Amino acid sequence: MSASAGRGPSDPVPAYYPGCSLDGLGKAYEVTCQQVLDRLGLSLDRIVDYNCCGATEVKNLSEDVSVALPARNLALARSMDRHQVVAACNGCVYSLARANDAVQGPATRDRVNAMLTQGGAPAYDGSASVQHVLEFIYQRAGPDRVRAAVRRPLAGLTVAPYYGCLYTRPKRYTGAGKTPGTDDPEHPHFLDELLVACGAKIVPEFSAKTICCGGGHALSDLEVSVAFSASILNEATRAGADLVATICPLGQINIENHLDRVRAAYGPEVIRPVAYFTQLMSLAFGASVREARLADNFSRPDSLLRARGFP
Amino acid sequence: MPIVEKSLVRVDRTEKLELEGIDVSGDWNTFLRSRVWTDLDVKVADWVRAQPGGDTIDRCWQCGTCTAGCCMHTDFGLTEFNPRYFIYLAQIGYEEELRRYAHTIWRCVSCNKCVERCPKGVKVEEVVHTIGSYLERTGAAPESPADRFDRAYTENLLNRGILDEAALFRTYERLEGRKTPTRELLRMGLALFTSGRLRTGPFAHRTRGWGKMREVLRARLEEETRQRRVPVPKPPVGAGGGR
Ligand code: SF4
Ligand code: SF4
Repeated sequence: MSASAGRGPSDPVPAYYPGCSLDGLGKAYEVTCQQVLDRLGLSLDRIVDYNCCGATEVKNLSEDVSVALPARNLALARSMDRHQVVAACNGCVYSLARANDAVQGPATRDRVNAMLTQGGAPAYDGSASVQHVLEFIYQRAGPDRVRAAVRRPLAGLTVAPYYGCLYTRPKRYTGAGKTPGTDDPEHPHFLDELLVACGAKIVPEFSAKTICCGGGHALSDLEVSVAFSASILNEATRAGADLVATICPLGQINIENHLDRVRAAYGPEVIRPVAYFTQLMSLAFGASVREARLADNFSRPDSLLRARGFP
Repeated sequence: MPIVEKSLVRVDRTEKLELEGIDVSGDWNTFLRSRVWTDLDVKVADWVRAQPGGDTIDRCWQCGTCTAGCCMHTDFGLTEFNPRYFIYLAQIGYEEELRRYAHTIWRCVSCNKCVERCPKGVKVEEVVHTIGSYLERTGAAPESPADRFDRAYTENLLNRGILDEAALFRTYERLEGRKTPTRELLRMGLALFTSGRLRTGPFAHRTRGWGKMREVLRARLEEETRQRRVPVPKPPVGAGGGR
């Protein structure tokens, strides 16, 4: 069982791993994450000088590099004396947790640590656990405290909660479903509950909840990544959603990047705006559409929300 | 296409059954006559097993759970994308048949539903990728767009420690010989710039003190690339050309 699965000691203020997306294209996600955490009285401590986690790409070329990249970040968290690392990107959660699993093998651990030390980073012993920020918010604040923090309920808004593939999958890396405070890998519900606590309505059945968005092949296999983006939007539309909530910058960016192609292939009626769940939560906590940076999103949820009377 | 799956069914010879003069005892519940292959090559599984991502291949008991939920197979609907079958072909070393999927196998989107669900702890997604690289190493499959992307991505991130997405986009478009219209690029660039999200070239983020790490990681990457390039023994005569 990996260290993540074990979910060791919990820190009052865990380390926060931003990853490339939150620091760049997903800025709106990072900013609104911070707003949500502040309002709920939760804090995270940013890992400075982090590096890219390698996502799902690097492992296809080199196992050791694919473990060393995330391990360096986990080692930095440990040198901040943290046992918990929170990330907001599904891809980051996957690769950090996968590295945790890999360093349980002594041979890999020794090779990777030799690389880390040579590269001037601290060694890593596999003792940090990894958590998605959605799980973190759910576990630490939960629907009740979220409900209490709401100032402007998302009344009249029907949302399709899209979790995507690597949020809790696979459980052998993330420990999902096996430990308290973790979401169900097959039928996740944390996002549903938090959005309901914010006053939104959740579509009764959203079968695209955990399908892949094709983001790993966003550029290399357009046929597939466009089709998956279309399925998610199409399914959300069919289920009666006004907009789609995401928890992963890869999914958000992939779907938005393909909007024109989806529109051309399936017609404008399947298009729904897409927003990070923290943008919606922040809105419910009283932020304005501008403060929640909803105009950052290419799918422009700001227009819809303004039309619905959000300032 | 021969139906090769059934040979895993253990033959039960306790009853005797004759059909139109043919003794099909034990095979009656599979509608198959048992047969012997001579052109299977165990080296396929040997190679896959020896790779870091392929070491769980032997655990597979062919239940098909991975294929049933596979995003490519079920959600996208590419029914010839069948991870269970790829694993089976690699296990038994049926290279000729495996080569028929040379243009399919790279399309795995790494969604990890298979790894999540496999009851035997096979790292299906990694095994599938490893089988794909076996096909590339033996020259049966061309380098796939996904591999070109993996390479461009890795190079890009090793550079500064943090990805420069805009540069990666440009590099990859060049590799594929694609060109997004300048007007569209400008539109995207402007939207990113005005929201403070454009961080390419001089604005690119970097990890402080990355230089040494970069050298170490690059060296390891090259070494592993060399190791994985170890020539795979030629497939047996008569098994080639099955694209
Ligand atoms: S789910 Fe696992 S055991 Fe079943 S066929 Fe797939 S890899 Fe084999
Ligand atoms: S990771 Fe690949 S093989 Fe596994 S379910 Fe997803 S697309 Fe299919």
